[in-house]
Amino acid sequence: MSVNILDEAVEVWFGPQHVSAHGWATKLTIVGDFIVECDPNAGYFHRSAEKCLEFRDFRQGALIMERLCMLEAFLAEYPYVKAVEKIAALEVPERAKVMRTIMMEASRIHSLQFWWGQFAAELGLFAMLLWPWVDREYFLDSFEELTGSRHAVSYNTPGGVKYDFTEKSVKMLLRALDRIEERIPTFRDMILKSPTFKLRTRNVGTFTAEQGLKWGLSGPNIKACGIPMDLRKDDPDPDLAYNMCDWEVPITHSEKHPGGSDAYDRMVQRFKEIETSISIIRQLLPQVPEGPIVDPKARTKTNRLPAGEAYGRVEGTRGITTLWLKTTDKAQTPYRAKIRGPCFSSYYSLKHLVPGSTFADFIVIFGSLDPYPGWWDR
Amino acid sequence: MIGGGILLQIDFIAWLRGIPDWLYEVIRWVYGILYALFTWVWGLFVWIWAVVMDSFWFLFKAILFPGLIFVVLGIIFAVWFTRKTWGRVQARRGPYHMGKYGGLQLFADAIKLVAKETIIPDNAKRWMYRVLPSLLLIAVLIPFAFIPWDNNWFIADLSVSLVLTFAFLTVVPVVSVLAGWTSGSKYTLIGGFRAANNQFAAEIPLIISSVGPAMLAGSLSVMGISQAQANFWYIFLLPVNFVTFMVSATVIVGLVPFDAPVADSEILFGWRTEFTGIYFTMTYFAEFAKQMLFCALMVAMFFGGSYGLPFIPPVLNFIIKFLVMLFFFVIVTSSFFRLRQDQVAHFCWRWLLPLSLLNVVGAMLAIVYIPGLAELLQLGGG
Amino acid sequence: MGSFRTLGDIFRILRHVLRQVFTRPFTYFYPYEDRYYPDRTRGRHIHIRKNCIACAQCVRVCPTVAIRIDKQDRRYEKDAALYFDYTRCIFCGLCVQACKNNALFHTKVVDLSEGNREDLLYGPDKMETLDREPLKWRGRTFR
Repeated sequence: MSVNILDEAVEVWFGPQHVSAHGWATKLTIVGDFIVECDPNAGYFHRSAEKCLEFRDFRQGALIMERLCMLEAFLAEYPYVKAVEKIAALEVPERAKVMRTIMMEASRIHSLQFWWGQFAAELGLFAMLLWPWVDREYFLDSFEELTGSRHAVSYNTPGGVKYDFTEKSVKMLLRALDRIEERIPTFRDMILKSPTFKLRTRNVGTFTAEQGLKWGLSGPNIKACGIPMDLRKDDPDPDLAYNMCDWEVPITHSEKHPGGSDAYDRMVQRFKEIETSISIIRQLLPQVPEGPIVDPKARTKTNRLPAGEAYGRVEGTRGITTLWLKTTDKAQTPYRAKIRGPCFSSYYSLKHLVPGSTFADFIVIFGSLDPYPGWWDR
Repeated sequence: MIGGGILLQIDFIAWLRGIPDWLYEVIRWVYGILYALFTWVWGLFVWIWAVVMDSFWFLFKAILFPGLIFVVLGIIFAVWFTRKTWGRVQARRGPYHMGKYGGLQLFADAIKLVAKETIIPDNAKRWMYRVLPSLLLIAVLIPFAFIPWDNNWFIADLSVSLVLTFAFLTVVPVVSVLAGWTSGSKYTLIGGFRAANNQFAAEIPLIISSVGPAMLAGSLSVMGISQAQANFWYIFLLPVNFVTFMVSATVIVGLVPFDAPVADSEILFGWRTEFTGIYFTMTYFAEFAKQMLFCALMVAMFFGGSYGLPFIPPVLNFIIKFLVMLFFFVIVTSSFFRLRQDQVAHFCWRWLLPLSLLNVVGAMLAIVYIPGLAELLQLGGG
Repeated sequence: MGSFRTLGDIFRILRHVLRQVFTRPFTYFYPYEDRYYPDRTRGRHIHIRKNCIACAQCVRVCPTVAIRIDKQDRRYEKDAALYFDYTRCIFCGLCVQACKNNALFHTKVVDLSEGNREDLLYGPDKMETLDREPLKWRGRTFR
């Protein structure tokens, strides 16, 4: 070993052509088996969504937003729709509020199931790749029954929602919920109680709550540190129905790292998130009021919008997702839309989080923060 | 002088008259050579045939069954079986389009892989790149000669075949390190180091676990161990040894949960990343051949080889037990997460080694100090 | 003891995996079996020319400009021919929502794959009917 340890450092590109890099390139400086420096480089997935939004109508813009992150399609459309509603001063009927909430929570469950499968496969358990995805099929079938499309649901629209609940769609959603409740004990056995999982994820990717807040993390990554930072309770949206049911923000108090979290705690946290979402949906489904599903003036008011700026946000699966919209007077398309995705901060927090861990732990840390390039690269 | 007769040095007319005789002599000379050649070749052929006829059974066993062709077909079957079982574990079917139940899928894959272009990276050492996969396959296929499929169907029964098997299997991680190093990429280098680390971690528990049955049977040849289990399978006597042997075998072969050398999501296939085409096929099949070899060894050493149900031919006994072991292997390797390399080494040295040692020592003490046990189990000898 | 609990966990995991091996797989034997498509499925469109009034709202609202209209091509009094570009269509449903005359609907046909790009540009003759050439594959006929 030489005096300056960086003399022996080797630079490895955990690059864009890598199975688990999800389209990001990270330059890792490795000494032996330990990562000394981590330099994230994003941008391989850029699709200029913000610019595309400037060429699309106010009713078409939600389509672009949902394609940024198809896994949480209902959640992804919402910030845009909310911002347009604020500028156009639309009133969302009660039925639409409750339906939106239900479908957004279902979307959250669906996204977490996808992440389970992906994370488990990255850690080597190929059985668990497809088991959550089987249960995800039930959710996708219920989405298709409701809206007509499995992933690219164009469900939220300024002023309400587009498709009404039918008896069959409610039944299919309930069946999906039953199915995943049945399977959660199996997943707990396979993941949380698996000795190899504990070996692999304990004490890996630890950060304290203060560090997390400094890096801008939100969503399950922060809730796993024990901080109840949840937009659904902190800033309750009058256009959603989270106040109509009785639920607690799911947080995890880590035993080994009080005031912080490691990868194991983040996995525990996501189990709790799914259970919370299931209970919210079950409470809201019987309470759906009758009425119209969209503001009757929505189509005329969203043809041309007055000048204004608005800010729509939602607690997405990975954190707080926001969209800032600016319109000029009598505009048919937005003047500027700025999207802030939660994975932006997750990815760049790797710069501080990763150095000091081994090369094999990089994928564990990366996966446990639930990265998705659609939200950063947009 | 001009005019009159023409003076030549030879008698032209006589020469012309003698041409047919000359031609005949030439043809006879050529014929003689050809005949000599033909006789020589025919003699060679006759000699080879005599040699083949003398050792007909040996050649049959070495090439057809249970030799080369059988092992290669067995590998193809093992890959198909593994893929189908992986599919079932993941709630899907495995390959099913080619042939009934997807049987011909493997042949299609093999043909496709062989026909692919072999791209050799610039940084790789070209001749090592070409030679190493073949070395690997040879080193893995040779120990198949020692496996006792039956009392009559075996290729070679050396008195130290168990030790020889492990000696051949030691070549494998060396080849892995070399392959990782000469492929000229950082990921392969890491994979190669991890493969060497795997071997370092698990070789000793493997050998100690195999000492147990060798001790009970009193012989170091796999055939002898298998034959000594005529009355009692060793799995009932040495269950912990079986478990440690199986786990060490998993580490040596490099399957999940110990497949850090070939970690799919971290280092993209480890030391095998840069191989393409026919070389990839050889490394791919070598993996499954190793798995098959260990399954067969486990059946021979712990499950009684070809002794079992009396009404089916012994070879079929072995094959059925072998299939059950393969199935179990696939199930166990699909159920756990992958361990980090240092955790693999830690696990092997901390848990496998003491367990295997304790079981062997315990078995030794039991045999020596419990009277009558040795005669009851008819141990020793052979 | 910790190690026995770990062994118990390991056996439980193995039991789950073994149970999964012996249950029926979740996949369909496509194309021999297919899944259930609900009525609202946003598949390919069908254009009913009798009801069309050539208002071109569908053309206006399409986010990817996948619809082309030819108002000179008339079969009834006031209709038009629609050309759908299925290489651009994102199946969002805005055109069906925009048509107020019940002339454009989604169907349940979702397998639109073709051999070359020109086959995916549906002209008015293909748009009006759901019939298409059957696909022969491995001795069976599909579609």
